[in-house]
Amino acid sequence: MNRREKENIIVSFWGVLLVLGASLLFAAVLIFLLSSEPLPAVKYFFTGPFLSRYFFGNMLDAAVPLIFTGLGISLAFKASLFNLGGEGQIYMGALVTTVVCLALPEFNGLAGGLTALAAGSLAAGLLAALSGYLKVKWNVDSMISSFLLSSAVVYGVNFFITGYFKDPSSSLLSTPFIDSRYFLPHLMNPSTLSTSIFFALGGAVIIYFLLYRTRWGYEMTMCGLNPEFARYGGVNVSSYVTMPFFLSGLMHGLGGGFAVLGTYHMSIKGFTSGMGWGGIAVALIAKNNPLGVIPAALFFAYLNAGSKAAMLHTDVTFEVAAVVEAFVFFFITSEVIFSFIRRKRRSLL
Amino acid sequence: MAYLTMENITRFYRDNHVLANSNVDFELRRNEIHALVGENGAGKTTLMKILYGLEQPDEGRIFLNGSEVFIRSPLDANRYGIGMVHQHFRLIPDFTAAENIIFGMEPKRRLFFLNRREAEEMVRSISDQFGFDVDPSAVVKNMTVGEKQQVEIMRMLYRNDETLILDEPTSVLTGRQIESLFYTLKKLTRAGKSIILITHKLNEVLSIADRVSVMRQGKVKGTYRRGEVDKKELSQLIFGRDVQFFAGRGVSSGHKFAGKKIFELKNVSIRSGDIKPLLDSICLSVSPGEIVGVTGAAGNGLRELEDVVSGLRDLSGGQVFYHGEDITNFSVHKFREKGFAYVPADRMKRGSSLQASLKQNLIIINHDGFSRFGILNRRRINSFVSKKLRQFSIDGNPDLPLHLLSGGNIQKTVLARELSIETDFIIFSEPTWGLDSAAGEYVYKKIRTHRDKGKGVLLFSSNLDEILGLADTVFVLFHGRIAGRLDNDGSLTKELVGTYMLGLEIDE
Repeated sequence: MNRREKENIIVSFWGVLLVLGASLLFAAVLIFLLSSEPLPAVKYFFTGPFLSRYFFGNMLDAAVPLIFTGLGISLAFKASLFNLGGEGQIYMGALVTTVVCLALPEFNGLAGGLTALAAGSLAAGLLAALSGYLKVKWNVDSMISSFLLSSAVVYGVNFFITGYFKDPSSSLLSTPFIDSRYFLPHLMNPSTLSTSIFFALGGAVIIYFLLYRTRWGYEMTMCGLNPEFARYGGVNVSSYVTMPFFLSGLMHGLGGGFAVLGTYHMSIKGFTSGMGWGGIAVALIAKNNPLGVIPAALFFAYLNAGSKAAMLHTDVTFEVAAVVEAFVFFFITSEVIFSFIRRKRRSLL
Repeated sequence: MAYLTMENITRFYRDNHVLANSNVDFELRRNEIHALVGENGAGKTTLMKILYGLEQPDEGRIFLNGSEVFIRSPLDANRYGIGMVHQHFRLIPDFTAAENIIFGMEPKRRLFFLNRREAEEMVRSISDQFGFDVDPSAVVKNMTVGEKQQVEIMRMLYRNDETLILDEPTSVLTGRQIESLFYTLKKLTRAGKSIILITHKLNEVLSIADRVSVMRQGKVKGTYRRGEVDKKELSQLIFGRDVQFFAGRGVSSGHKFAGKKIFELKNVSIRSGDIKPLLDSICLSVSPGEIVGVTGAAGNGLRELEDVVSGLRDLSGGQVFYHGEDITNFSVHKFREKGFAYVPADRMKRGSSLQASLKQNLIIINHDGFSRFGILNRRRINSFVSKKLRQFSIDGNPDLPLHLLSGGNIQKTVLARELSIETDFIIFSEPTWGLDSAAGEYVYKKIRTHRDKGKGVLLFSSNLDEILGLADTVFVLFHGRIAGRLDNDGSLTKELVGTYMLGLEIDE
């Protein structure tokens, strides 16, 4: 028995490595086919992120929002809930954080920053919690409601960024810069990496603790694995629908908030786009383990930075880079989703 | 004469060491209705699953019209004209009657396109021929149970099945629906079909079957023509007159349980939709030091009552009391807070979480006690878990998923958990399902220990030996009602309980 289980773990570990390796290989093949100078393109794709402090720091910084969204998705997944609204939630969190910073000119940096983060994550959390509430109240499919709500919210946020809060003096479709007192200290100049990465790492540890060491996390996990058993054991199953969604949204909101305070210092139209979907891929690679989310987010950020480097130095276009990323995403999700379905099916028998 | 013969069929379940069929011979004639009767676990369903290709016999052969056939799947069965209606219907709720009937064998137009009109036409012609009363274009989820059953039967007719197996077809039907079902069955035999009817209900057997085969303990004890046996003889055949009953064994006989009641049900009823009430005015109580046994044949309300007393299902009427406090329709959470221990019949799905670790399974009801400010105390949990593993000799790694354990170890895990709470009221449902006899003895000992400590035990069991061996008071459910409340004072026999189970004592 023990040996069988150990083998299972080893097989799934190699499975993930295999998928990651195959994704990278596929990316290389694709670049070879589509670029007129394939060798340098592949070289920049793989080594680009390590060539300078600038690229390396930017790569680490890009992992920060992915860690937050990855944690948010993992949390919901543990309760067997699929939060497809990450895009809207992180965008909402970013906008609210920006607006609160702009509205509080007299606060000092720390209090103001914390208030802004709290407001941003709360707004995103409530947005996500709505999907959980609708599921409990009317049995609305939360996967669909979270996706649709988020799609609508993205347009709403666009409206505020390009309309009501737009900085008229800027040529960007963006809000004005927030006050520099709110900026998080930078770590690796000239890159955008800031202390937000420590918050992301801390967040992962806190979520890990919450899931594996608290009563709350235990009950939520049990509801996710077998709701009938959880109910039989006396767990109030319906309370573990809205709450995980709220926390999932909260993490997305923090991701958006830290992107503002640490990296962008304003909200730009569409600037968080892709971070929500990236979070799903990250959670899938990490198999919903909050500590696994950290390397998974780094891998994703590496991929992203690699394609950017290849784009900058060679004739690889934005589209090629996007296609490469899409294929990697496809590989990863198919592997993980298949094993997810297999597990579900086995538990039904 | 014999049209279908099963010869020397033997089926042994290795997982729980049950010999479900032991050298069974069974013979079906053309145009007959052949009833297959017997207690729960007598081997009826196993035999029919073998005939329908859902299970393979370890030994034995099947002959159709004199030549041997090999039925390895329901598809094979269908090829040989054998169809089955399961006790729980297998229809697609969102499809129409016609779509359900043709499903899997659709009339095709130009190879790919479903010919809906032709399908409905074919269904209508079956309907007219045999006098069914179902609109082919009606959606199944809006139908009554009687209509759904007709759809299931029409499905077999559409497939030109010659041998029709019906598993407990009347368990969900009301009186009038049963009459119309029997009328249909008669009509079908006149049209050349042969029917096997699995049932618990002797009145039905006597009113419709041409022949009846009685199964007991995995063997066919005899086949009789209509009129050869009466109700009393049949019930003796089913439960066996030769059995030494161990009534009174370990039972505090003669003890009266007056006064204080730990747990009480008053006029508990469950109604849902058009079918007859699942539970009807159930009254029972459990006193300190008393084992109350509840039994009944499958489909008579045992499982529903289990759900009610454990708080998993809300009542349509009546009240539930615990030490005089009204706890009607409390959530399971509240039930658990009161300290109820409950070993459910469904230990794999309800009683355990197979994907969760052994440790997580053991602490579901008392993890509150292991946490402070919401943080789980791992040291205390680990010492609790290793203590339980030792106490119940469970063989498994506490951190690995439960599904990796053997069936027996999973059973013991459920027991270990439920017996770990300090309480004066325990519910056991089918406590020895899936256990070998040594483990079963162990469970019996545990149940008696609880009784002797002055606790109240509510025991649900379809195993009469178990009921008679343990219970002080026996309640028998029939059609969702209490058919009899019997004191197990030493004179109670399995046969007598059996007559109540079969509804002989209250019918007409």
